[in-house]
Amino acid sequence: MGINRRNFLKVAGAAGGILLAGGAGSSRAAQAPQTSEGGVEFNGMLIDTTKCIGCRACEEACNEANKLPKPKVSFSSESVFEERRDTTTGAFTVLNRFPNEKKPEEPIFVRKQCMHCNQPACASACLCRAMEKTKEAAVIYHKDRCMGCRYCMVACPFDIPRFEYDSPTPFVWKCIFCNERQMRGEQPACSEVCPTGATLFGKKRDLLEIARTRIYTEPDKYVHRIYGEHEVGGTGWLFLMGQPAEKLGLKTNLPTTPYPELTSGFLYGVPLVFVLWPSLLIGLNYLIKDSKADEKKEASHDEQD
Amino acid sequence: MEGTRFIDIYATKGIEYLIVISFLAAFVLFCRYMYQPRKGRATSRIAPENVTRFRIPEGLFYHQGHGWLRPEPGSIGVVGLDDFARKLVGKVDAVDLPAIGSRLAQGEKGWSLVVDSERIPMLSPVAGEVVEVNREVQRSPEILRQDPYGKGWLVKVKSTKVGSNTRNLLSGKLARAWMENALDNLHPLHGESLGPVLQDGGLPVEGIARVLGGAEWVELAKTHLLTDGE
Amino acid sequence: MTNRTDGTDAATANVEGTMTFRQVARETLRFVLSEMKPKGKMLTPFNVITGAIILSGLVMIAIRFAYGLGAVTNLSQNYPWGIWIGFDVVTGVAFAGGAYVLCFVVHILKVKKFEPIIRVTVLNGFLAYVFYAGALLLDLGRPWNVINPIIGNSFGLSSVLFLVAWHFLLYMICEFLEFSPVVAEWLHWPRVRRVLEGLSTGAVIFGITLSTLHQSGLGALFLLAPTKIHPLWYSGNIPVMFFVSSIFAGLSMVMIESFFTQKAFKDRIGHELHAAHDSILLGLGKGAVGALFAYIFLKLIDFVHYKQWVHLGTPMGYWYLFEIVGFVLLPTALFLQAIRQRSAKLVQFTAFLTAAGVILNRLNVSVIAFKWYEAVRYYPSFMEIWVTLAIISMELWVFRWVINRMPVFGEAHQVVEENTAEDMEVVTWKAPAL
Repeated sequence: MGINRRNFLKVAGAAGGILLAGGAGSSRAAQAPQTSEGGVEFNGMLIDTTKCIGCRACEEACNEANKLPKPKVSFSSESVFEERRDTTTGAFTVLNRFPNEKKPEEPIFVRKQCMHCNQPACASACLCRAMEKTKEAAVIYHKDRCMGCRYCMVACPFDIPRFEYDSPTPFVWKCIFCNERQMRGEQPACSEVCPTGATLFGKKRDLLEIARTRIYTEPDKYVHRIYGEHEVGGTGWLFLMGQPAEKLGLKTNLPTTPYPELTSGFLYGVPLVFVLWPSLLIGLNYLIKDSKADEKKEASHDEQD
Repeated sequence: MEGTRFIDIYATKGIEYLIVISFLAAFVLFCRYMYQPRKGRATSRIAPENVTRFRIPEGLFYHQGHGWLRPEPGSIGVVGLDDFARKLVGKVDAVDLPAIGSRLAQGEKGWSLVVDSERIPMLSPVAGEVVEVNREVQRSPEILRQDPYGKGWLVKVKSTKVGSNTRNLLSGKLARAWMENALDNLHPLHGESLGPVLQDGGLPVEGIARVLGGAEWVELAKTHLLTDGE
Repeated sequence: MTNRTDGTDAATANVEGTMTFRQVARETLRFVLSEMKPKGKMLTPFNVITGAIILSGLVMIAIRFAYGLGAVTNLSQNYPWGIWIGFDVVTGVAFAGGAYVLCFVVHILKVKKFEPIIRVTVLNGFLAYVFYAGALLLDLGRPWNVINPIIGNSFGLSSVLFLVAWHFLLYMICEFLEFSPVVAEWLHWPRVRRVLEGLSTGAVIFGITLSTLHQSGLGALFLLAPTKIHPLWYSGNIPVMFFVSSIFAGLSMVMIESFFTQKAFKDRIGHELHAAHDSILLGLGKGAVGALFAYIFLKLIDFVHYKQWVHLGTPMGYWYLFEIVGFVLLPTALFLQAIRQRSAKLVQFTAFLTAAGVILNRLNVSVIAFKWYEAVRYYPSFMEIWVTLAIISMELWVFRWVINRMPVFGEAHQVVEENTAEDMEVVTWKAPAL
């Protein structure tokens, strides 16, 4: 019995030591504030699709601000609208054109880019914290940490992150809300150049007020819903729509629970299993050992008779 | 208003994992504390006091007189005394081995142990001609105490009948049963206990015959070694 | 100094402490090199085929690292995970579940019947983790950064994948510890072996705990894609179902593996194992059918809870029924039949069927039912499949190497209780009252 106990210590100790060494690093995360109470509030972006004229200035500004490679087709071309576009590793925001049912001569343009969710699925999924939600609302990407596992792509409800499949040293690309410009006190590049104010930058609290005001004052112009207010627990980018969301290429089957909460139950169970399983197993082990020892004693007694 | 501030639902995850690690460490200590043997040498079983252990290695053949035989290639049989005999008589002063060339018979006197100037004969487990005796043991009988089954061999016997002799000998589970029987038959000739005992009240590991038999320990020893007529 | 002519002398001398470090190193190297030489014929059909697969697979892996994932796989922005994750990792690890189940049965419940196969199962489990979780490195875009979540540079504590990755690492250590007495026996290091056997209970308990968590963790990975996985396969209970299915997947793999090793390694298997083989198979079958039975009812609960019957009329619905009826209900019935008739052959056949079912289910959750609504679906490229086969072949080669040299089968297996020395009966005698 002595060997068992003493060397069990070694095994658990060795394993625990490894965890402990890493655990020292994790305590940094534990010290992070649970909410940014009494401090910073989220920034946000309000996209009013009824105001967008499809000039693609936002795309161009994004391309320049992030130093992305210039696309083959110029930004003033309208030919790109002929097919449904998606974000790519070189284009963080793309416009799509949709037919306007109320006014067919004025098509609706809708931007597609990272929604900077309040509780991002990608940040929760990332095992190296390469995707990280900042207090200011931007979900940023740390190139130096990324392993390229693409779990963020699996998790993102909006299918935004894009991966460089053709590179031996690939990164994941998506809109980062011009985080560096925000840190400097500037607006993101796209909202700065928008000529009509369809892309509006501000504090999320204020933007929600503005959006509600617009819906209230012009109830026939807008759908009575702010897209992004409740989807997946709320997103940083909000959409005002002139038509129902499904006609604008916006996903409508998303749950309202924030995605990190989908796995929090399981992850909460992990420490429980770590506590219960060894206890139960060692208990079983002893009970069975004892009963087998008793059996043996009885058997040897029977033999002697 | 909801959704305007940063919320991290996993803020305490790191601490939770640290608790898990400390649990695992504490758990091991807890188990150790609950089940630690009183004086834990890791290699020894938890044995209650006054329990003596008699070793019966596999691969050997045992005679009722507590000699053992190990067949070796070339019709050779190595012979010695077993743990029971050794512990029964205690500290052996000298071993009286047969001469080279002499013949042994199975079940007849083979050699004698000299203990306290008393001569205790033992039976040979095999029949054959003595071709070698263990000079080491003759020089230092201490070896019998350390390694009665290895370096403490007594004689080597040559005989074509070594194989067939083993049929009359015990091994494996039978040997174990026989040993247990022999131990059960060990009871004192007289009622009182005499002689030195271990601090915790157990029997001494050597010289069981002396403790049990008192003044008549030689007779007791011979009885159990089946040489009480010699 | 005596002349040393083979490795065993070095080992014994080591124990006596009479050799210098240099001599030990030299002897060990010589021993290792001699063990590297292949035993048996070199040009068997199996060797040639798997050798060709491995060589070309290595070339493809080189291409993957030189030109990126897109050059070798059919992965896309819509389908970030393909069969390298869906099959190699998610399914392969399920099949390694036999190790923890059997460790539980043999070391905790002390059922002696399965002792003869515990070593090969642990070996299989260890190699499966090394190769399949190792295949994970191939799939990573930047595998050199895998060190980040390990050394504490950036812990993604909120991520299930973080948990799974760590558990893989720790579990590999546990499995290796579990198997190390065999290595110590091979190297003739009895004292080391005893120490390692003392660690065994602790390694087993830790291993079972880890296994529970990462088998279910693989399922929990998919919790984050509720809109992307078809509702017939998505549920909040995926972790539990993955855990239960890992039990019968692991046991089936043990049965399948014994089917092949009985034939391939006839000369290494001891008499005991040969004779007990049928009885062991039936025992494993009973374990598998128990887990299958529970699995059926878990699926039923989900079926009702999520009102999944509305989806049954669709093509995916038929596919779901095909999986459930053909690969869950049918194996259950066949196992029951086989146990009643005590037919080891039927048990073996059903094991193959069950394994196919597990592969089907896992591929469904991770690839086939993933984004089933897209117009252009993912299918694995030829090179993805080939590399997977190459990894399996490599694992088989290592498996064969170990079996041919180390006492994995039919040797003097460890006694479950302690002995103070090897191969000795000990009679304990309590002195009569004096």
